[in-house]
Amino acid sequence: MNEVTRSARATSGEAVARVARLRRSQPIGWWGMALFIATEAALFGTLLSTYYYLRLKSPVWPPDHIPAPSMALPLALTGVLVASALPMALANRAAQAGRAAPAWWALAVALGIQCAYLALQLHSFSSDLDKFGLHRDAYTSIYFTLLGAHHLHVLIGILLDGWLLARLPSGLTNYRALAVRVTALYWYFVSVLGTLVVVTQLAPSW
Amino acid sequence: MAIAHPPAAEPHLERLERIWEERPGLLGWLTTVDHKRIGLLYFFTALAFFAAGGVEALMIRTQLLAPNNGVVGPGTFDQVMTMHGITMIFLFVIPMATGAFGNYLVPLMIGARDMAFPRLNALSYWIFLASGLLIYAGVFIGYAPNAGWFDYVPLASKQFSPGPNIDFYCLGLIFNGISTTAAAINFIVTIFKLRAPGMSLNRLPLLCYAFLAVSLALVFALPPLNAALIFLELDRSLGMHFFDLVHGGDPVLWQHLFWIFGHPEVYIIILPAFGIATSIIPTFVRRRMVAYALVALAEVLVAFIGFGVWAHHMFSVGLATITTVAFAAASLVIVIPSGIQLFAWIMTILTGRPQFRTPLLWIVGFIVFFLLGGLSGVAFAAIPFDQQLTDTYFVVAHFHFVIFGAAVFPILGGMYFWFPKVTGRMYHERLGQASFWLTFTGTGLTFFPMHIVGLLGMPRRQYTYAPGMGWTGLNLIESIGAYVLAAGLALVVVNLVVSLFRGAPAGDNPFAAPTLEWSTSSPPPPYNFPVIPRVSSPYPMWDVDDRLVDVRQLTEGEMVLEEGHETPTTSVLDADWDEVLDMPSESPWPLAVAAALTAVFVMLLTKQVIVAATFAAVGALVVARWHAQEPQQA
Amino acid sequence: MNAEGTDTRGPGERTDTRGPGGRTDARGPRRGRRIGYRMATACALAGAGLLGGCGGGGQSTLHPHSGPAHDIRTLWWWMLAVAGVVFLGAVGLLLLAWMRRRRPGLPLLGEDEGATVGLVVVFGFVIPALVLVALFVVSDLGIRTTEAPAAGSTPLTVEVTGHQWFWEIRYPGTQAVTANELHIPVRTRVNVITKTADVIHSFWVPELNRKQDMVPGLPNRLLLYADKPGVYGGQCAEFCGAQHTHMGLLVFADPPQRFRSWLANMGAARVAPGTPTERRGEAVFQASQCASCHTIRGTPARGVIGPDLTHLATRSTLAARTIPNRPGYLGGWVLDPQHIKPESKMPGFNLSGPDFQALLAYLRSLR
Repeated sequence: MNEVTRSARATSGEAVARVARLRRSQPIGWWGMALFIATEAALFGTLLSTYYYLRLKSPVWPPDHIPAPSMALPLALTGVLVASALPMALANRAAQAGRAAPAWWALAVALGIQCAYLALQLHSFSSDLDKFGLHRDAYTSIYFTLLGAHHLHVLIGILLDGWLLARLPSGLTNYRALAVRVTALYWYFVSVLGTLVVVTQLAPSW
Repeated sequence: MAIAHPPAAEPHLERLERIWEERPGLLGWLTTVDHKRIGLLYFFTALAFFAAGGVEALMIRTQLLAPNNGVVGPGTFDQVMTMHGITMIFLFVIPMATGAFGNYLVPLMIGARDMAFPRLNALSYWIFLASGLLIYAGVFIGYAPNAGWFDYVPLASKQFSPGPNIDFYCLGLIFNGISTTAAAINFIVTIFKLRAPGMSLNRLPLLCYAFLAVSLALVFALPPLNAALIFLELDRSLGMHFFDLVHGGDPVLWQHLFWIFGHPEVYIIILPAFGIATSIIPTFVRRRMVAYALVALAEVLVAFIGFGVWAHHMFSVGLATITTVAFAAASLVIVIPSGIQLFAWIMTILTGRPQFRTPLLWIVGFIVFFLLGGLSGVAFAAIPFDQQLTDTYFVVAHFHFVIFGAAVFPILGGMYFWFPKVTGRMYHERLGQASFWLTFTGTGLTFFPMHIVGLLGMPRRQYTYAPGMGWTGLNLIESIGAYVLAAGLALVVVNLVVSLFRGAPAGDNPFAAPTLEWSTSSPPPPYNFPVIPRVSSPYPMWDVDDRLVDVRQLTEGEMVLEEGHETPTTSVLDADWDEVLDMPSESPWPLAVAAALTAVFVMLLTKQVIVAATFAAVGALVVARWHAQEPQQA
Repeated sequence: MNAEGTDTRGPGERTDTRGPGGRTDARGPRRGRRIGYRMATACALAGAGLLGGCGGGGQSTLHPHSGPAHDIRTLWWWMLAVAGVVFLGAVGLLLLAWMRRRRPGLPLLGEDEGATVGLVVVFGFVIPALVLVALFVVSDLGIRTTEAPAAGSTPLTVEVTGHQWFWEIRYPGTQAVTANELHIPVRTRVNVITKTADVIHSFWVPELNRKQDMVPGLPNRLLLYADKPGVYGGQCAEFCGAQHTHMGLLVFADPPQRFRSWLANMGAARVAPGTPTERRGEAVFQASQCASCHTIRGTPARGVIGPDLTHLATRSTLAARTIPNRPGYLGGWVLDPQHIKPESKMPGFNLSGPDFQALLAYLRSLR
């Protein structure tokens, strides 16, 4: 019989690292997050398809003399969001190696970037709201819904980070190491999502 | 074949009992994470909604019993027929099949001690209950959804439906969707990761394949529905314009999104029934399923192809010819996997030595009705015929044979089949057979004449009809059939309730059934299995040597896993043992999260967005508290 | 009158034994209203009975009266025959299983597992695949008659617009406007353009062709053709709200000569009232709310919420094929439409006896 680990007993850095090393297949937490991401991807697939569906139905896009979105800021912000995947990856590596402190710091860096991203995005969201309003036409409907849904996902990620930052100082456990891992996975997904959303958002300007 | 516990096993059993026991009484039910108790909660809740949906069906049939009948007016009728559809699909069949049967059976069949995420499982149930009550709150204040279960815009838009009726529909179903999505993810991970060591994918019971396919379909089918519901609710409450033609929206978008969900939904409804059939048939014909691999493949393929056929619900909308022809072709392709399964069941029964006891009778009824509903379904892939008969009673006949005759009959058969396992007592056999024949007759009488009425030109969703169209006599037969059907279902309930108190003791495996749920006692202990069972085929209970190994291991204390809420996880394909998990035990937090979410949806319904956001924040805090309890601390 | 229609009174419904055709002698508004109410009940109950029976208006897909409907019916009988064979074959296998319940294995083949799986493949894959390919070729590629006619390919075009809950019918190129009763020349290809004014409806005259949804922003075309003169029934086939049920339609296939004179009359303004009573009725119509919802060409009434009434008296039914267009029914409809067609947009009118009689006389004169 294979060497079987009682992973829940891993409540120290070394034990966590050992469990991570011996694990032969993805743990249930990873599968749970992967499937959650799959269903969220289907949701965003629907949102993005709706955007292009409505665009195909409209002779002018954006309609109603709404100015095409400007490129610079959204692209720069998305670059920043994608860049936050790097500290997330580092946090994950540190956690799987059983090192709590570096994981905490990497997470904190990522969180800082992500918060800044969200703040700037919300600012531009509300200035767009002032500019052309929520209920003007189908374009504004899908525009704000798509961006709003994405921002909500960033917010959820930030909450996950916050929970980890609160828990890690009291030591690394298998449970927390897995949490770092699935949170990182979630952020990779949100980064890809952010890229797809910004490509769509700026589609009228290409 | 059942395990007789040797005396040396006693200390192990006592220890397991102590570890897995939950709080007694009401509080125990509110905080339970035991998949069997959650399954029972699902069962009774779904059964209550089935009764509500049944009363609605009887109201419809009573109103249509005679021409120009005045039992209910058009406004009430529209609410009743919409609620009948929503209830049966979202609040009965799915939660009954996946929530009740899936929850109770899947872990037992794969040799696990619980679902992969027990607390999430509890959360799924509480959200399901709350969403059902939320939708029914609309009924009690007189504003139930009334635009039909597929809720086409613009009829469902604020302009044509200014009341809160459709808001109950949108928010109730989004809420319900959260529960179903969580449950689906839970099933997939459970089936992938929690199978007993040795149960490689080619030894997975076919019922589990069916639930796996259903869950995968749900993960991808619900988001389009949720998106559509969100769009509609945004249109209605914030004045957006997704479906509003004047402002660049498109009402056909709703139809696409709804049916991208809606057609996979048909297979989501019927696949669990296929799974139950593949459990009951081998047991009562006393042989293995014919063509196990083909059936497993067909179950997964059906769920997959189901995503490519949605536009056959829209042939009369006026889509481009090339589109309709392509979707017609896809709709014909999907017949093939169903055909393979159908003949696999029939050939298994034919080549075995069938004992036509109650559960198998329901499956035979299911095969007959699935044939009827399937064959009339094929006709709808013929575009001109579809365009003639869609939205008539012919369609009503077709889908009731599919989702009542074919999807619910195995559920009823399954109730009889697993009744001894769940209660430890036998049902009454002759009464069971009588209940089958009564229900079978009622179903035929109710739905078969609808084909003819449809061919004679009666559109569906009419609250009344004129005499002299040739519809009167047939409608009368349908209504009489509905009462016969109701009597049959009542007899099922009577049988099971009386047997619960008076039934003969059942023993562990009264039917000599082949899957693992029959290896443990009836009802199963909280920890399901004293030892993690050994598996070397899809029919482990027929592998007598393996069961003797279980007994030996229990005596020697091997594979007992008694140091906590322990269950093994294994690799996805080959089920090689990987880790021992320490599962969470009872928790009040799922219920608290469900309560917070309920408050969020009620506040959204009353347009209190700020209050709703506050409750959402409370919910997030509760989730944080929930996850502060780590397994090793339990 | 159809035999089924003769006794449709529900328990407790007291109906006027004089029958729906009897004239009321209204004595003041209250009396008139009460009689109207009872009459409306009688009309609604007995009247609907008339519709099934009186002079056609059938809507059975099994009685086609055009090429497309005929093709669909033929397709149906063929599909039924093939499905019947499959059904009986499968049920036969189940019966065989019951007869052989004590013997394992197959007749002739015995317990050969390979042969059994082979049969599953033959019955479940090979045969269905062949049948389905045939069905696809015949029905989805083969039948072309039900397709929408190309624009301008027919001698006549009609525009039908669905409303909650009636059908507005226009003949482009003419002034003709009517409602709920569509006239076409017999044995002539007619292009029906289907539109909607509000929610989704579906135009369906089963004996003449398939149905066509009426979707906002998606005008569609449908071929109508009747191979013999007669009246064909139709009904809205997409759920469209409270009175989806009472959104019926009649198609009259007339000989060409009769159709031309009918169309000429439909295009004309209303017949000016000839008697003092009718003139008073027109005044009542204009002064009451009637004119704000209905159009009568040749008068100031230009309402667009309800059907055009310019030639109301030429129609055989009222309220989208809900009740016959006879004086008693018309009176009941004007006084209490909500009883006959609950939640329809027409309110009831509380008129004095003489005003009511004058209005009826006027409406009856709109030929």
